[in-house]
Amino acid sequence: MPKPIHQVTFQPDDLTFDVFRDGENLLRVAIAASVHINASCGGNGACGKCRVIIDQGHPEVEHSAKISDEDWKKGYRLACTTKVTDDLTITIPQESRIDNSVLRKDSGQKSHTLMARDLNSLVQGVKINPAVFKYYIELPPPTLDDNLSDLGRLMRELKNEHQLDNISADYFLLRRLPRMLREADWKITATIVYNPKGLKLIDIEAGDTRAANYSIIIDIGTTTVQGQLLNLNASHQAEERSVIDDLESDLLIATDAKYNSQVRFGEDVITRIVHSQKGDGLKELHDSIIKDLNEIIDNLVKAGGIQKDQISHMVVAANTTMSQFFLNLDPKYIREDPYVPTANFFPPVRAMDLGLNLPDYIHIYTFPAVSSYVGGDIVAGVLGSGIFQREDLTLFMDVGTNGELVLGNCDWLVCTSCSAGPAFEGGGLKYGMRATTGAIEQIRINPETYEPMLLTIGKKKPLGICGSGIIEAIAEMLIVGIIEPNGKFKRDLNTERIRKGDTGWEYLLADAEQSADGIDEITITEGDIDNIIRTKGAIYAGCRILLESVGLSFEDLDKFIIAGGFGKYINLERAVTIGLLPEIDHKKFMFVGNGALLGDRLVSVSREMLGEARNIAGMMTNIELANNMKFMDEYVAAQFLPHTETTAFPKTMAMLK
Amino acid sequence: MAFSALTEKYSGKMGTLTIGSGDQTVTVGGQAAMPFATFDGELPNKPLIAMEVYDVVDPEWPAAVVDPFKDVINDPIAWAKKNVADYGAKAICLQLASTDPNGENKDAAYAADLVGKMLEAIDVPLIVWGSGNVEKDAEVLAKVCEVNEGKNLLVGPAVEENYKKIAAACLGYGHAVVSQSPIDVNMAKQMNILISNLGLPMEKIIMEPSTGALGYGVEYSYSVMERISLAALAQNDDKMQAPIINDLGKECWKAREVKLTEEEEPAFGPDMEKRGVLWEATTGIDMLLSGSNLLIMRNPKAVKLVEECIDELMA
Repeated sequence: MPKPIHQVTFQPDDLTFDVFRDGENLLRVAIAASVHINASCGGNGACGKCRVIIDQGHPEVEHSAKISDEDWKKGYRLACTTKVTDDLTITIPQESRIDNSVLRKDSGQKSHTLMARDLNSLVQGVKINPAVFKYYIELPPPTLDDNLSDLGRLMRELKNEHQLDNISADYFLLRRLPRMLREADWKITATIVYNPKGLKLIDIEAGDTRAANYSIIIDIGTTTVQGQLLNLNASHQAEERSVIDDLESDLLIATDAKYNSQVRFGEDVITRIVHSQKGDGLKELHDSIIKDLNEIIDNLVKAGGIQKDQISHMVVAANTTMSQFFLNLDPKYIREDPYVPTANFFPPVRAMDLGLNLPDYIHIYTFPAVSSYVGGDIVAGVLGSGIFQREDLTLFMDVGTNGELVLGNCDWLVCTSCSAGPAFEGGGLKYGMRATTGAIEQIRINPETYEPMLLTIGKKKPLGICGSGIIEAIAEMLIVGIIEPNGKFKRDLNTERIRKGDTGWEYLLADAEQSADGIDEITITEGDIDNIIRTKGAIYAGCRILLESVGLSFEDLDKFIIAGGFGKYINLERAVTIGLLPEIDHKKFMFVGNGALLGDRLVSVSREMLGEARNIAGMMTNIELANNMKFMDEYVAAQFLPHTETTAFPKTMAMLK
Repeated sequence: MAFSALTEKYSGKMGTLTIGSGDQTVTVGGQAAMPFATFDGELPNKPLIAMEVYDVVDPEWPAAVVDPFKDVINDPIAWAKKNVADYGAKAICLQLASTDPNGENKDAAYAADLVGKMLEAIDVPLIVWGSGNVEKDAEVLAKVCEVNEGKNLLVGPAVEENYKKIAAACLGYGHAVVSQSPIDVNMAKQMNILISNLGLPMEKIIMEPSTGALGYGVEYSYSVMERISLAALAQNDDKMQAPIINDLGKECWKAREVKLTEEEEPAFGPDMEKRGVLWEATTGIDMLLSGSNLLIMRNPKAVKLVEECIDELMA
C-alpha cells in the first residue's frame, strides 16, 4: 500500500481522509471520502457552490471571482480549484452543504478508486530493443577500385559497422537509393525493421536523423478508435528503466481518439459484416476506418510537432473483424458456420497500400488473433498486462463493445468473448460520451435530497457521461434508493429530478444552466439503466462461465485486471455494487485503461515482444459462449442489481439494507 | 443385511402460504422433498385445487365448461356456492374478467364489492385474480385489498410493471400476493426479491411462473418449476422458497384441440367433453409433478380426476 502524503480533515463532521497524491484536488478528496459538498458544474469553478473554509494548512488555490475579498480573507475557497499540498483542516459551511446530513451512511469506509495508469509491475524484463531502429552511416564513395553497387555498399557498411547481416531491401527504397546517397554526400541514416523472418532495410534519410524515431500505435475498437504517438528514442535513453512506468512522460508524445465512423454502417460487427457483402460495402467499411486513422495520425503528428517522415513504424491491435476491415480482407466467413477468419497471423503490410497517408516505407504490424471472436486487441491486452509471465491466476477483463475475458497464467490461457454492447464506452446511452474532457466521471448523490455532486474530466461543465460516471451514477441511485434492484425508478420520491421524460422515466443530472453550452440537460433514463444492466450482466456471466469451464470460481483468483475505455478512474465499490465486478478482495483488482495500447507499446519498444505476442495467440484456448446453455442462465441471473444471487454479494446487500 | 432404500436429503424446505381467515384457512407448501417423493422428506400439505368463477364468461367457451354451471353462469356468487356445495371446491378463485378495459371495463369499486359479497357467501378461502391488464389490475386489486381488509385473500397476478401497488396493498391490508414472472427461474426470483424488498414476507408470496397448457408450452413451465423446486430444496435459496400456483384453467380451455368439433377434425372423435377434461387434468398433473402447490381449474370432472390422483400419490 502506498503511504498517505497528506491528510484532510472535514469539519464539522471531524472526518479525516488520507491523500496519496501531492496536489490532489480537494473536491476529488471529498468525493472519495463521501463528504457531500455542493458541486454542479463538474468542478470548473463556474458555479461557485463548493465553498469551504480553510481552518488549517496552506493549499495551492486559484483566486476565484466567485469569492468576495472579504470572504477570501476569512479563508473561504472553492474546493474544486484547491489543491492539497499539505495537511488540511477545512470546514464545510452551511451554504455548501447539500443539507445537514453531510455524511453518508457509508462514510468512513475507505473508497477504492483505481486510477488508470501503467503498472510497471505488470510486465517483467522487457528488453528495450525496438523492432524498428536507425543507424547512422558514413559510406566511402565508390571508386574504380571499389565499385560495389550502391545497395551492396550500404549492406557492407551495415555489416562492418553494425554487425547486421542478411538484410533484405525494400523495392521502393531501391528506386530512390542512388540519387539519395549522392545528394546526401554518402552520409545517411538507415531505418531497419526487424520481423520474425529477418531484417529489412526500409528507409534511408540524408544526414543523421537518429534523434527522430517515432512510432504510431493504434487500437481499433468496434466503437472507439484510439491512437498514440511514441518517441522510440526515449526507450533507448532509459534502457535500464522500466518501460511502461517511468518512461511514461518521455515515451508517450500524444494521444488521440474518436468514435469508429463505421458505426453508421451498424453498431455491431455482425451488421457491418452483413453490410460488407452488399455492393461496395467492404470498400466503404475499409475506407471509413482508413479515414478515421488518417485523421488520428494527422492529429497525433500535429500534437507531437513532428513530421510524418520521422515516423518509423505503426502497430495496430484490433478485434478480428476490425483487423480484416482495416486490412481490406473480406470478413464474410467470420460470421458463417464454422466461423473462420482469413488469417490469425497477418504479414507486415505497407501503410501506403492500405491508403494511409504515411511515407511508403512505413510498415504496419498487426497483432495476431486467436479466433473469429477473440482478436488481436485481446492478445495485445494479455501481452500488456503480463499475465503470460506470472504463475498467479489472473482474470483479464477488457470491456469494450465486446467483453473480452482471458483467464490463466504463464502455463495456460483460456479466453472468451461476450457481446456486451458499447454502453461502457458511452455508446447507446442518451447522454453517453467517450471518456474525454467534459464527461461526468464521478458522482455522489445525497441520500436525503437526491441532489447530485458531479466531477467531470478536465473539470469543465458537463457535456455527457462516460463509462465510469455511469457506473457511479447507477450505484449511487441504488444506494440512496432512487432505483429498485431491477433498475426501475421509484416514482414517489420527493424530488423533481426524477421525472417522466420523452423516452420514459429519468433522473436529471444537470440542467441547461449546469451543463456545457449547447447541451440542454443531462439525464439518465430507465433505458440507459437497462442497457448497463444487460452489459454488466453479460460480462459478469461471461466471467462465471469462463471460470466454471476450468473448474474455478472468483475466490480462486490471485489477480483481476480490468481494462477498457470507462474513463480515468474506476471506483471498485461502485462497480461491485452494480454487479459488474465480483465481491472479492479489493487488493486483487488492477485497472490498466486501454489494454490493447499497452500491448502495442511493448511491441513498439521491444522486438522480443513480437515473439511473445505470437506465443500468446498460439496458447490461448477459446471457449465459445454462443452455444453454451449455461451462459443464458447466468446472463439472466445477472440482470439485476447487483445480482439475483444475492449471497454472492453479502457486503453490497448489507450496505443496501 | 436388510435393505435400506436410498433417499434424497435436501438442505432447504419450501415455505408455506396460508390463505383465508377465521376457521376457513388452508395452508399449502412446506414440502421438504420433490413432488410426491414421500419417502425423501416431509410433504406436510396436500396440493390444493381452487375452482374458478368468472364474473363474465367469454361466449367462445366450449360446452364442457358451460354445461356444469349453466344455471349459475351469470351469477358469480351462485356459481361459487355451487362449486363448493355440488363439486366440493376447497377454495374459489374469482376471475375479475369484467374489469378488463378492453371488455366491460367495470371499475375497482364494483370488484371490491363483489369480493366482499363472495366472502360472505362462501366458507372456503378466496383467491382474486385480475383481468391481466397491468394498470387496471393494480387499481382494481389495490381496492379489493383495501375494502376487504384483514380477510387474508390471495390476490394477483402482480407482475414487474405493477407489483408495487398490489404488494403494498397486500402488506397494508393483510393479504397474500401472487408473484407472476415470464417462464424464467431468475425472473421469478427477481420478483420475489422486489416484493420482499417492499416489506412483504416470503410467507405471503406465491409464485406463478407462467403456465403453459398441454401442447402450449407445458414443458417450459414444467422445467422452470422443477428448477425452482430444486433451487429451494437443494440450494436452500430462501428467495426461491415461495410455493407455486398455476393459473391453468383458462390456458387449457382456450386450446385449439379442446375447441375443435369432430366435423373440423375427425381424428379427435366426438367426445369433446372427455377431450377437454383430460386436457385440463393432464396439464394439472404435469404441474403437480414439477412442484405446484396450488392449481386454479375450471371443469369439475377434471378437478375430481386430479384430486383422486393427488390422494393416490400421497397415500
